[in-house]
Amino acid sequence: MKSLIMAALLALGLHAANKELVVYNWSEYLPESVLEDFEKESGIKVRYSTYDSNEAMYAKIKTAGGESYDIVVPSTYFVNKMSREGLLAKIDKSKLKNYANLDPKLLGKPFDPKNDYSIPYLWGSTGMSYNAKALGEGAVSAWSDLWKKEYAGKLLLTDDLREVIGMALLSLGYSSNTTNPKEIEAAYTKLTTLIPNVKLFNSESPKGVYISEEVVVGMNFNGENYMANTEMPELRYVYPKEGVLVWVDSLVIPKGAKNIEAAHAFIDYLLRPEVAKTISEEIGYATPNMAAVKLLEPEVAANRIIYPTADDLTKSEFQLDVGEAITIYEKYWEKLKTGN
Amino acid sequence: MRLSRFARFSIALLFFWIVLFAFLPQIMVLIASLFSKGATSFIVFEPTVSNYTRLFDPIYLQIFVDSLVLAGVTTLLCLLIAFPFAAILARSPKAWRALLLVLVIIPFWTSSLVRTYALIALLKTKGLINAALLSLGLIEAPLELMYTQSAVFIGMVYTLLPFMILPLYAALEKIDPRLIEAASDLGAGFWSRLTRITIPLSLSGIIAGCMLVFLPALGMFYIPDLLGGAKNLIIGSFIRNQFLTFRDWPFGAAASMLLTFMMLMLVALYAYRERKAGA
Repeated sequence: MKSLIMAALLALGLHAANKELVVYNWSEYLPESVLEDFEKESGIKVRYSTYDSNEAMYAKIKTAGGESYDIVVPSTYFVNKMSREGLLAKIDKSKLKNYANLDPKLLGKPFDPKNDYSIPYLWGSTGMSYNAKALGEGAVSAWSDLWKKEYAGKLLLTDDLREVIGMALLSLGYSSNTTNPKEIEAAYTKLTTLIPNVKLFNSESPKGVYISEEVVVGMNFNGENYMANTEMPELRYVYPKEGVLVWVDSLVIPKGAKNIEAAHAFIDYLLRPEVAKTISEEIGYATPNMAAVKLLEPEVAANRIIYPTADDLTKSEFQLDVGEAITIYEKYWEKLKTGN
Repeated sequence: MRLSRFARFSIALLFFWIVLFAFLPQIMVLIASLFSKGATSFIVFEPTVSNYTRLFDPIYLQIFVDSLVLAGVTTLLCLLIAFPFAAILARSPKAWRALLLVLVIIPFWTSSLVRTYALIALLKTKGLINAALLSLGLIEAPLELMYTQSAVFIGMVYTLLPFMILPLYAALEKIDPRLIEAASDLGAGFWSRLTRITIPLSLSGIIAGCMLVFLPALGMFYIPDLLGGAKNLIIGSFIRNQFLTFRDWPFGAAASMLLTFMMLMLVALYAYRERKAGA
């Protein structure tokens, strides 16, 4: 009798485990309809929760352990940080029928050379925006243009030390992933001369600041510029000459996840061309799914803000984990913000 | 003195609450501040005092100084605005006072973060203040209000003003109006009455109000971030960054302990003064 109950409980437990998938994603990063369709088709119940920074997500996975989530969506350099720390489970690509849809140009990146741990979900860039009505067409084309004297007090920078110092490194011709303290210091010194131009640091919602015309030029994310264009068509997005900062958000399975089977099924579902198309069109960032790109509405596919040309991406760089050198970046970031 | 069962229960509950949610977390912060940061874990159990010595680096000292200046100026501005307000409140007809006090308290019903966003709608280039001034013809180009130091002070003073008004009102209301009359009869002018009667008699309210404004002002990082454009680091945002962005929990904990210590010193000073005044 006892063993019968045990068996029943075990079966129930397994049943529950197979039927529930816990997804932890960026806020406003997956259309509701996609989740509902997945639930209907697979019979798997999805529990969905969100975060708004890699750091918050990382702190949760690190302290609560991987068993709380089945799918997480870290950005570029958090993938190699987390895999290096053994926080991620290997993905079995034989279970992903739609893996071949992915653009080889976005696979095998340095943060996960064999894509053992991560499957690209959406990608985008951090470049420059400017108000063409206020400054005229073609006013800026390079990061170094931000230093022009006439932009005093008119500039927005993102509130992210890797991006801001990375931008300065690129403008000096260095890699934005450098671990050389001399180069980071040179970028800091160059940034101190940019401060008189800076009106504010904002990563939360740069589009709102551009739309309200508090600033006329500065750094921006491509998706934010795209969304701002519905209200402000004169906001132009620029891929700077010295190279744009590119990032990819990837689907990963944390080590210890309870429902590895369902996680694979979910990843494979998101890789379907028609699903990836819906996501890219509704969220406003680019899909790495080549088959989906073919299905896109022509005006979305032709929009250089979301889908840059190969020329736009010359010299572009993916952000990588810089390891312990991050403390050097932090030190100069604090110096920059305290005006020392 | 015998306490009723209910009173004993309430005190025990409160005591338990404070131990569980204030004292124990504070002890955990203290412990964390005495260990090291690991490359791949938040805390490594290697004892060190380096988290505290690092705080005395000029960069971090500058953050503390900037925060103290911000909190100090905010407190002064609050005092200058709240004092006349509280004085009028205390001398207004009884029937009016309750209503005026409710008006002071009503903003508390909305989260201060939401009210800060509301200030953005007022202050921005295309905001209500600029639109009104432009349409009245008082200015020709929009004023630059957002992302300036003035915007930060407007936000800080607006948010913290009630904390200054309430204790001031409590102190001023207690002053016997006959004392002022007597001073006046004896030929004391306005300044003389203010500096020799009103201010000395409301000193405990002034000090309490200053503490209630100064201490929260030290930690209010979202107002300089949202209204000032995150251009300066203050202690509050510095501690948040250590925990969330840089993942250096021990260092963040040490900064938090130093802030707690500074606040405790101020409170102790206040308690000491009160005891002396009472004796």
